[in-house]
Amino acid sequence: MTETILKRWDRELVIAGVAVLFLLPLFGIPPKIYLTLTIAGLAMGMLLFLVASGVSIILGLMDVLNFAHGALFAWGAYVGFSTFKFLERWVQADSVLLNFGAFAAAIVCAMAVVAVLGMVLERVLVRRVYGNHLFQILITFGATIVLVEMIRVIWGPNDDVMAVPLTFQGNWDVFDVIIDRYRIICILIGALVFGVVQLVLKKTKLGLIVRAGVENRDMVQAMGHNIFLLFTGVFAVGAGLAALGGLAMSIFSLQVYPDMGSTYLLFAFIVVIIGGLGSVTGSLVGALIVGLSYNYVAYLVPWAAAGVNIIIMIIILLIRPKGLFTAGK
Amino acid sequence: MADIAATEQTPVSMLRREQRKKRYYSIGIVLPCLVLAMFALIPFLSPSYKTLDLALKIIIFASLVASFDIMLGYTGILSFGHGMFFGIGAYCVAFLNGKYGDPTYFHLFLGLLLAVAVACVLALIVSLISLRVKAIFFAMITLALAELTIVLANKLSHFTGGEDGISISLPGIFSAAFNPGSFLGLDISGRVITYYFILLACLGLFALMLRFTHSPLGRVLQAIRDNTDRAEALGYKTFYFQTLSIVLGCTVAAMTGGLYAMWVGYVNPESTLEVMAIMLNVLLMVIIGGMGTLYGGIVGAAFLLITQTFLPDLQKIAIDLFPNASLLHTILERWLLLFGILFILVVIFFPKGVVGSAREFIARARGEAFFSS
Repeated sequence: MTETILKRWDRELVIAGVAVLFLLPLFGIPPKIYLTLTIAGLAMGMLLFLVASGVSIILGLMDVLNFAHGALFAWGAYVGFSTFKFLERWVQADSVLLNFGAFAAAIVCAMAVVAVLGMVLERVLVRRVYGNHLFQILITFGATIVLVEMIRVIWGPNDDVMAVPLTFQGNWDVFDVIIDRYRIICILIGALVFGVVQLVLKKTKLGLIVRAGVENRDMVQAMGHNIFLLFTGVFAVGAGLAALGGLAMSIFSLQVYPDMGSTYLLFAFIVVIIGGLGSVTGSLVGALIVGLSYNYVAYLVPWAAAGVNIIIMIIILLIRPKGLFTAGK
Repeated sequence: MADIAATEQTPVSMLRREQRKKRYYSIGIVLPCLVLAMFALIPFLSPSYKTLDLALKIIIFASLVASFDIMLGYTGILSFGHGMFFGIGAYCVAFLNGKYGDPTYFHLFLGLLLAVAVACVLALIVSLISLRVKAIFFAMITLALAELTIVLANKLSHFTGGEDGISISLPGIFSAAFNPGSFLGLDISGRVITYYFILLACLGLFALMLRFTHSPLGRVLQAIRDNTDRAEALGYKTFYFQTLSIVLGCTVAAMTGGLYAMWVGYVNPESTLEVMAIMLNVLLMVIIGGMGTLYGGIVGAAFLLITQTFLPDLQKIAIDLFPNASLLHTILERWLLLFGILFILVVIFFPKGVVGSAREFIARARGEAFFSS
């Protein structure tokens, strides 16, 4: 009886449980601060979603654990950094249009460069080791080292301050609740990307093939689709999402540094494990869980912030070993 | 009695006996003995601190890499938390001999024991959580845990000493002040005694690991590595075997960490826990030496540590030779880039590593069929 209920209301139960969990801090935090923290958490979650969804799709469809994702993330941030430097006048201008122009240019440049990089990576390295998990991890780990060191060669080994377009700075004060402008932009970007990815996956033929590939790769190939072309494409899309995440995150944290990828890759892994391999919705929910809980706990018990995600991950793994959502959903 | 005599005459047992006779003359036993003799003689040949330090680091890292190899090469499980277990071992020894206890033999022993116990429990927990789903999870979860450990070691500074770390003093004959005189022209000091102690301990660990991998249990692990489903179908509970291998690998890693702390006399998060740095070294060593060989650890550790020690000299030579090529200088400064490329090339073109390829070559030359083990 309970089994069937659990099965029928699977996703709803998960979402309800998560919602309850995140209303709980209301008891410990004053409502205004709670709102600020929630927005910060949502923004962080959306940024993590950008990174994690790429990892998740690549892992789900291609069965490749892409360790180089973090390095691609850092590349995205650095390409955006250079674009901002090139368009310095637009970034400094006190005009919403020019600011967004610079931002859009940075996004296009970062995503294009890193998508090409991802394609090269897939063609040259990853393709050689399909079907062998161990060598995939090893080879993408090697690629990470090379990519990060290339950043150090090209842009120098030190931290740099990331420019922020003028209108993105500052915050709004809505009924005494302080809302950072850029956080809202992050949330919008994340929601937009989620919508587009969901739309492509659910409504297009390409999405159908990708979803089918996640469930049964051999069958898709047997139906006559060029799965290798698909893999390269998905790898490029994943890399592009990582670049977008890197760019957005570097503006969020106001800095770029060569090693930035490894920290966020870690968060991405936790998100993917929580959400379930190969599930985009799972990535979103997992990312929001990680982002929100990090912010709440950082306010309530500062020293425990780093550990809370791992504890959540362990608890979820104990209850649902495959993560919250099933692949392909 | 008759039964036993009869079984000894079976072709298999006769073959085994032949093999056992041959074994003592084979390269497989002579070479390790030579290497061991060399390490034992190093304090006599060149008693300078730099050589001793390099030799001992090679020994310790060879053991660490071998313990990693048990998981990676023999069981097919990739862990990114090996540096964490190494660091935990180092910290256990440091706690009992530096921060929370006086240096006594008992505390030293207790520290190593504590390292083993903590590593055992942690490895068990991690494998129980992660192995239920996919072996890939193990890599991801260990990476996350290792990062967490670094953060904790830095944040809980009143407990772990934070970034400043803990310095360790060693008891009695291991302490640097101990000096009973000289022997065969070698000044016997606490350092030299510590060197031999650690050499012996690592030898013991190595023997343990060799015994483990050459036992029937080790064969099962290799079967799991090569084809998990088939091993499961043959009736082996792959989960238990994988867990066992992980626990052993992590425990040995913690032991080597403790020994490392003894030698260096100082632990801090950067030197003993830094995931990427230590894991990168260990991975490079195991790949270059050869996965699934155990001895590969020695080759890999020797190659990498010697290269890293003499890298500044190499850079100097290169700069003297080509004083105008600024791009070359930048690339040489980023030696990790070269190591990264080397790593990828080895993984693609040379996946058996030095020892594995050498074994294959010897087997081919003898006209035997080659089975990697």
